[in-house]
Amino acid sequence: MTPDEALSAVVREEWGRLVSLLLAQFRRLDLVEDALGDAVEAAARTWPRDGTPDRPAAWLMTAARRRVLDRLRAEAMAARKEPLLLVDAHGTGPAAMADPGDLVGDDVLRLVLMCCHPALAPDVASALALRLVVGVPTADIARLFLVPEPTMAARLTRGKRKIVTAGIPFGVPDASALPERLEVVAQVAYLAFTAGYAPGTGPDLLRADLSGEAVRLVRVTLALRPGEPVLQALLALLLLQHSRRDARVGGDGRLVLLPDQDRSRWQHDEVAEALDLLERMPATGLSAQTASYRLQAVVAAEHATAATASDTRWDRICAHYAALVALNPSPAVRLAAAVAVAERDGPEAGLLALADLDDALPHSHRLPAVRGELFARAGEPAAAVEALDIAITRCRNDVEREHLTRRRAELAGSRE
Amino acid sequence: MLTASDASAWESAPAQVREEYFDAHRAFERAVAGRGTTVVGAALADADTATTLRHGPAGGLTVTDGPFVELAEQIGGFYLVDLPDLDAAVAAAALLPASYAVEIRPVIEIEGYEPA
Repeated sequence: MTPDEALSAVVREEWGRLVSLLLAQFRRLDLVEDALGDAVEAAARTWPRDGTPDRPAAWLMTAARRRVLDRLRAEAMAARKEPLLLVDAHGTGPAAMADPGDLVGDDVLRLVLMCCHPALAPDVASALALRLVVGVPTADIARLFLVPEPTMAARLTRGKRKIVTAGIPFGVPDASALPERLEVVAQVAYLAFTAGYAPGTGPDLLRADLSGEAVRLVRVTLALRPGEPVLQALLALLLLQHSRRDARVGGDGRLVLLPDQDRSRWQHDEVAEALDLLERMPATGLSAQTASYRLQAVVAAEHATAATASDTRWDRICAHYAALVALNPSPAVRLAAAVAVAERDGPEAGLLALADLDDALPHSHRLPAVRGELFARAGEPAAAVEALDIAITRCRNDVEREHLTRRRAELAGSRE
Repeated sequence: MLTASDASAWESAPAQVREEYFDAHRAFERAVAGRGTTVVGAALADADTATTLRHGPAGGLTVTDGPFVELAEQIGGFYLVDLPDLDAAVAAAALLPASYAVEIRPVIEIEGYEPA
């Protein structure tokens, strides 16, 4: 691994842990993320020259801690020079922790609970947790939320300001307040998983370590609250998606679509665990969010249990999607439902189901990609190429774009 | 913490209801004392006794009868409390009378300002 690769690996894998360790020590979110950012910059400068340190995460931690201490010292000096300026007694002191740390031993989860505080708007909370806990770049978070990057950067800044100014604690809430916070945590974990499962930008088709981190967060939370339906349903869903990670990329680094995947390369122990979770959880009396996770998991379970692609029970999948659309008619759900309809009733039915989605998904590459594929199946290569051209322009993931480009070339060739 | 409520409800409240309000305020004050301090607290007279002052764009001063904005709910009082974090503030504010909406706002220092 080159120093650059080592640095991006440690940033990706250890970001949340570093943020939470620094927060546990200094309680200053305003300083911690900047200090960590400075440490990463310093590493980018010095590691190529001096070589990657033996313990890269510890190196970043030490560098970041030194920067926080420098800032605190500078603040203390400024306070001494201006005696008339009021200094908040417990702003920098070792404030008592809201929880003794024995209820939840996981620093990262404590950080998640801070980011998922109900005093933060859900979209702000999710964005913060992705940035601070999972270290997802702002550009990718923006893509997940379908907003421009500057909008997302402003949202993150606003969220951090709210945490610091309003005094949102870095700790675990009272046991009575925990259940209602778990639904927000579930949303955050789900979004974090998606960032790894289908990264919006960059060279990787998937970042399994990131998805794995989201799975780990759900596991830790579920261990704390066993039998919590929202966490059971979410863990089942994430495990089923995650179980396909090795089959989704071919040996040549190319995207392998679900019907073409080598099903023996799926993680069947994870599939079994997910099926068991689904079996043990109730199917009714669930919150809307839990029911939505459960239905998505049930769809994924249909795929996971089909021996071959042609054995897939699209009739049952369409029924699950109909229930899901009734519950949550979001554009992404309707797009997935349209794909299922196309599989059951043919490409023309699928194209019809896609017809009114363009306004809701003006930046999505998946909508024109699906449309292109359905036009191809319907025997309309010219329309297919046209749709794929739009998809290629919009797609910002290298592997997916390469797949779309190859598919377009095949279709353009077949027209001659 | 700014409390907002429908002032007319208080006017028409019987003695027993008023006693429940007092109990709620005392519960709040005890909860704050358990985790921090109440710096000051006060009930405000009805918003129809308010006077609002504004400087016009041309520099003229206007003084009008009434609050900033006419709403069914008006600021009825405030507490300035010192508590460790937002969760403590929410837990205490939850004890105030159920008819109140409570807005929790942090007090900040304005950088560069030195009191006269």
